[in-house]
Amino acid sequence: MDTIPAVENSPPQINSAEFVRITIYNDYEVPADTTVLTASSAYKDEVIDAQVFSAVGGLMSIGNQQKSIRVTSADTTVALSGIQGTLINTVLSTKIRGSELEIWRGFYNTAGELTSTAKRFTGIITSYNITEDRTGLEDSFIVSVNASSYKTVLANRVAGRKTNKESWQFFNADDSSMNNVYSIATQTFDFGRPVTSGGTGGGGSGGSESIGGDFNSGLNQQK
Amino acid sequence: MAAIQTIIDNCSGLTINRRKVVGLQITRNQIPRVSTTPTKNPWQMELDMPTSFKYADARALMESVDTLDRTGYEDVTFSNNACLNWIFAYQGDLTLIDLNTITVTGFVGNVLELNVSLISKPASTVMFKPNDLIQIGNNPYPFTVTTEVLRGSSTTVSIVMSRPNILTATIGGNNITVGNACTFRMFCPNMPVYKLVPGGYSQSGGVTTGNAIIEWSDSFQLYEYVGTS
Repeated sequence: MDTIPAVENSPPQINSAEFVRITIYNDYEVPADTTVLTASSAYKDEVIDAQVFSAVGGLMSIGNQQKSIRVTSADTTVALSGIQGTLINTVLSTKIRGSELEIWRGFYNTAGELTSTAKRFTGIITSYNITEDRTGLEDSFIVSVNASSYKTVLANRVAGRKTNKESWQFFNADDSSMNNVYSIATQTFDFGRPVTSGGTGGGGSGGSESIGGDFNSGLNQQK
Repeated sequence: MAAIQTIIDNCSGLTINRRKVVGLQITRNQIPRVSTTPTKNPWQMELDMPTSFKYADARALMESVDTLDRTGYEDVTFSNNACLNWIFAYQGDLTLIDLNTITVTGFVGNVLELNVSLISKPASTVMFKPNDLIQIGNNPYPFTVTTEVLRGSSTTVSIVMSRPNILTATIGGNNITVGNACTFRMFCPNMPVYKLVPGGYSQSGGVTTGNAIIEWSDSFQLYEYVGTS
């Protein structure tokens, strides 16, 4: 567990600001082709992990982030306000869904100097929302992005391989383990049933090319 | 006509607000817990305007107020008006010649360091008193001194200011401006509207030229325009 010195021993006053970085992957086949957006609630530009966080990034608010001792699946929301609609354009014209969202909290001393940082959230943007509101002479818009933690993303991920030749050889073109699957694809048999004809046995091993007929004969008897 | 400057010169009340944004909770055992976000801590001023302008005399003011609207900013000062220049007046013992020799050597966090090597004054000379304004170069964002600062014997002095360095421009070597000569870059997010009410009758050659005075819908709530700092 990481220790955050700035909040150790429950100090009576904490001076902090939030820093947000969005890494947009422009081409999923070229991971290095990224666009990075930053925003912060700090009063001036700050550098964290060699990344300059702009103080005029338009950060409005950050939603709740669940904190647990255990690894938990939690979502959060970041709301941004931009000038001249540039953020709306960013959301609509880039592949922002699937982008990586990272949130840091920066801690300041009483002189207003950044002294330490702690990462609060890492996740993937799953959706966005654009709110434009005009009431009387008040005209405003807010861009919100919702992000899920990596744990949620992994939990929802459909992965694995099918037990057929194509799926197996997708990972290893020389793997012939499933080459004979098609020959037994429509057959049924009982594992452990005594062999009543043929010489190889109708049970378990099923991988040999020579036993197909035995399966069939055994099954015919069963019928 | 400069709208906000005219309002300042004619206002009947001034409220200054430099409170920070804080999260404050009192625990069950009555211990305060404070959470703050360091901000640019902008100046906020609320100006009360009397219903005193005659319509015929305020045409230019009304136009400039409408032009500035709620988003335009204006650089204003309290030194223009002989009746107001006591506000923010410099309280130290240095002469204008002395002050003009001071340059900035650094500004980290909220500690401003000045080069005072050209000032030949006793070490006990009071350079600044609390609430003295200091403006760096031509940046219209005044900072206030929080403690009394003596000349001392060093070539530099360090001053704890009211807010951290919010300037993005290079400031090393810049001269300073102090006291009421400083300027504030302000805008008025609530820019009041005006109403013409009977009064202020005026006549010229037997012809009525005006019979209304200007009543403002609200006080002028000025906010420092720190977006360009």
